[in-house]
Amino acid sequence: MHHTSDNSRRPSVLHIFKIYYPDLFGGTLTVIRDICASLKDAFAPAVLVCSQSAAKRQIVVNDVPVERVRSFGNLLSLPAAPTYPWRLWRKIAEHDLLALHAPFPLADLVFAFGFGRKRPLVVHWHADIVSHAGLRWLIEPLMRRTLQRAKAIIVSDHVLVDNTPLLREFEDKCHVVPFGIDTSGYDWPNIEPHHVNDRGRLVLACGRLVPYKGFDVLIRAAAAHSFEVWIIGEGAERPRLTQLIEELGLTERVRLLGSVNDCERIKLMCLADVFVLPSVTNAETFGLAQLEAMAAGRPVVNTALDTAVPRVARHGMEAITVPPGDSEKLGEAIDSLIRDPERRRHMGLAARTRALSRYSATAFRQGMETVYRDAVAAPSEQRSMNVEPPPATAWFDSIRIAATLAWSDMRHRYVRSLLGPFWMSLQMAIVVAVLGSVIGQMSNADMLSRLPMLALSMTAWTFLNSVVLDATTALQSSASLIRDRALPPVIFLLQCTFRQGLFALHNACVPLVLWLILSPHDLSHAPAALPGLLLFLACTFALSLVLGAMATRYRDLKPIIESTLMLAFLASPVIWSSDMINHRSTVMRLNPLTHLFAVWREPLTGVHVDPISIIYVLVVLALLIIASALTLVHLRKAAFWI
Amino acid sequence: MVSISLRNVCLDYPLYGAYDYSLKRRLLGRLIREPGEMRIIRAVDNVTIEAETGARIGLAGPNGSGKSTLLRLIAGVYPPSSGSIAVEGNVVPLLGLNAGVNLDFVAEDNIALLLRISGRKPTRATIDEIWAFTELEARMQRLPLRMFSSGMLMRVLFATATAFPADILLLDEWLSVVDEHFAEKAQERLLNLVSQAAIVIIASHDQPLLRRTCSRIVTLDHGRIASTVMVEPPATHALELREKRA
Repeated sequence: MHHTSDNSRRPSVLHIFKIYYPDLFGGTLTVIRDICASLKDAFAPAVLVCSQSAAKRQIVVNDVPVERVRSFGNLLSLPAAPTYPWRLWRKIAEHDLLALHAPFPLADLVFAFGFGRKRPLVVHWHADIVSHAGLRWLIEPLMRRTLQRAKAIIVSDHVLVDNTPLLREFEDKCHVVPFGIDTSGYDWPNIEPHHVNDRGRLVLACGRLVPYKGFDVLIRAAAAHSFEVWIIGEGAERPRLTQLIEELGLTERVRLLGSVNDCERIKLMCLADVFVLPSVTNAETFGLAQLEAMAAGRPVVNTALDTAVPRVARHGMEAITVPPGDSEKLGEAIDSLIRDPERRRHMGLAARTRALSRYSATAFRQGMETVYRDAVAAPSEQRSMNVEPPPATAWFDSIRIAATLAWSDMRHRYVRSLLGPFWMSLQMAIVVAVLGSVIGQMSNADMLSRLPMLALSMTAWTFLNSVVLDATTALQSSASLIRDRALPPVIFLLQCTFRQGLFALHNACVPLVLWLILSPHDLSHAPAALPGLLLFLACTFALSLVLGAMATRYRDLKPIIESTLMLAFLASPVIWSSDMINHRSTVMRLNPLTHLFAVWREPLTGVHVDPISIIYVLVVLALLIIASALTLVHLRKAAFWI
Repeated sequence: MVSISLRNVCLDYPLYGAYDYSLKRRLLGRLIREPGEMRIIRAVDNVTIEAETGARIGLAGPNGSGKSTLLRLIAGVYPPSSGSIAVEGNVVPLLGLNAGVNLDFVAEDNIALLLRISGRKPTRATIDEIWAFTELEARMQRLPLRMFSSGMLMRVLFATATAFPADILLLDEWLSVVDEHFAEKAQERLLNLVSQAAIVIIASHDQPLLRRTCSRIVTLDHGRIASTVMVEPPATHALELREKRA
C-alpha cells in the first residue's frame, strides 16, 4: 500500500462514526472531514463507518481511506451492522489513536467491554442522545464506560459540559475546541460591495431533513409572512415537508433544494438575505451551518437551545434568538430582519467578524492537534492493566496457593475432631438412609438398587451447593489476605471449589460403600461418565466465580442465592430421578441442573446421554465462561468491596 | 532490573454506603431515577514516584493521607483510576502482619502456610530458623496460635514475614507492635532485610525510623505529595549497630 511510508512517520488516527460520505452530507461529517484534512500533515487519518450500500467496502474519500461495514438499515437511529463491533476491534490494533464521534452506542459496546484498551481514545462529543431517550438507561452505562477510558473529550462549547450530566462527571477531561471554518471559499471582496440587497426576502436554511432540524416550524412561519424559503438538504423527512408545503399552499415560496455541493452551498449562503437555524432539540449542539452563514456575512435567526447554538451567533449581536418550535416568533424575527436592511448589514458584518476571529480554521486545527498529540503522548492509562493478564506462572501460583489454602482448611477439620470431615459423611449417610426409605415408600421401585446413585447425587449436589454458598462469603472472609498480602481475589473463589472438592471426596465414601454392598461391581461405565463429570465441575466453578463476586459486591444477593439453591434442589432430579415422576415435565427440561446431572449420571447407569442435554450443558458452560471472564475483569476492583 | 514507576497516578476510592451494597436498591434506584449516594474520594492524587534499584523511600503523613493506599496501589491491590503503574520485580507487601493467620492452627502449620502464601517452600530448616529467631520455647511450635500472648504472636509473625529477602519490600506501620525487648533485634533484622531488598518503601509515622532507614522521604497530604526530602546516608546508625554487635 502506498500509505505505508507515511504511516511510519505519522501516528495514524481512526475515526469511528456511523456514517460517512458519500452516503450522507451533514454537519458532523463536515467536522470529521475537516479534522482529517486539516491534521493530515500530523496524523494519518482513516475512517470506519457503516453503509447501507452494497458497493465497495473500501473506498477513498478526499484522500482518506474509508472502510464501510455493511448495514442492513437503521434500527432506533442506529445502523444495524452486526459485524461493526468485530471490524472495529480488528482495526483498533492498526492505529495509534482512536477518535470516536459520539454518540455512537455500537462503538461504545466495544469500548465498554474493555476492548482496545491499549490504544488512546479521544471522544468527540457531538451531541447527547435525544431521540429514543427512553432507552437511555441502557446506553448511558456504556457511554460512561467509554468516557471513563477516554484520554480526552472534545466539545465544541463549554455549555455542553454544563448542560450534560454525563459530561459533568468527566469535566476534567473535557477540552473545548470550537469548530472552525475555512473562510477562503468565501469570495468576500466580491460580496462586500453589494453585501445586502434592499429587496431582501430570501431566507435560507441548511441541514439534513430530519425532525430535530425543525424545518416544519420554518415552513409554518413562512405561511404567515411573505418571505421566500430555500432549504438545502436531503433526508427522510422530505415527503412530510413536501406535503406540509402543499397543504399550506406555499409551493411558490418554499423550495426544498435537496443536496447541494459545497461550492453551490457557499454561493447560496452569500446570496441569501437571512439564514435560519430553526432546530428544535438539543441534538443540534453547534449548528455548523449557521457558522458558514456567518462567514458569508449573513444575519442569523436561531433558537434558544441549551447548547452552543445561541452562543455561536448571539442574540442581538449576530442573530435573533427565538424559542425553539415557536413558528410565530420565528416568523416575526425573520420578518423584522427582512424589513430592516440596515440591521441586516450590521448583523452580517458582526457575524463575519465573529466567524473569522472566534471560529477560525487555524484555531480549530491547533486545538485538535494539541488534544490528539497529548492523547498519543500520554502513557497508556492502564499500563498496569495490560501487564495484568497474568502469565502462565502467575496462574499456576494462584492455583497452587488456592490448593494449599484448601488443603489446610481440610486439615483444620481434623485438628478439632478425630473424624474431621467424616462427620459430614456420617450426616450424609443418615440423610441418604432416611431419604431412601421415604422415597422407597412413595414409589414402588426397588429402592435398594437406587441407593448408591442417590448417595452419589447427594454428594454431587452438596458439592455444588457448598461451593456456591462458600463463594458468596469467601472474599469477605479473606479480606486481609487480599488487601494486605495483595493476593488475587480469584484465589479465594478457587479455594472454595478445591476445599469442597476435598470434602466431596470424603463424602464419596458413602456412595462407594453402598455401591460395593448393593450393586454388581461393574466399572465399565465409569470412564464414560468422566467427561460429564468434568463439565459438572467446570460449571460449578464458573458459577461460584460469578455468584461469589456478585454476592460480594451486592450483599443482598446472598439470601437470594441461598433460597434459589434450595428451590433448585427441590426442582432438580437429585433425590428423585426423572423416571420416577411425570416423565420430562417442562420445568425439568428447562432446568439446567437436570442436564448438568444427566451428563454424568446417565453414562454411569449405562444409559445413553440425550444429545440435547450435552448441548444444553455446553451452552450453559459457554455462557458461564463469558460471565466468568467479565467477572475476572471486575474482580480487580474486589478490594474496594470488602 | 528492579524498578517502580508511578506516573500521575490517581485513585478514586469508592465509599460504598449501606445502600450501595444492595442490588435491589441499585436496580430500583435506576427505575425511579434516584441518584445513587455513592461517594468517591480521591485517595491518591496525581502521584509520580520513580524508584530504581537501591531506593529507600519513606512515606510520611498524617492518618488518612493515603500512605497505605499508595502501598496497596503499588502492590496491585487496587487498580489505578488513571495514570500508569509499572512495577518490575517480585513485590512482597507486608502491610498487615495478621494476614493469613489461622489462630486454631499450631504455630508450625501457620508458619508453613504463610511461607506458602508468599511463594516459598517451607522446609524443616527454614521453620526452625524462623523459630530460633522468635526465642520462644521449641515445644510451643506445636501449640495453636490461640494460646499465644499477643507479644508472642507478633514475634512469630514478624519472624515469618521477614524470613526471606524480596526485590521490592512494601512495609506499612507495624514495627511499633513488637514489644520492647524484642524491638532491638527486630529492628536489626528489618534493617538487614531492607539492606537486601532492591527497593523498599516504608510507610510510618516514626520520623526517626524513616530518617535512619530511608534515602528519600515523601510526605503525603490528602493523597498528594506535599514534599520530597532527600536524606543523608544514615552512616551514624550503621556504626552504632556494628558497635552493638561487636
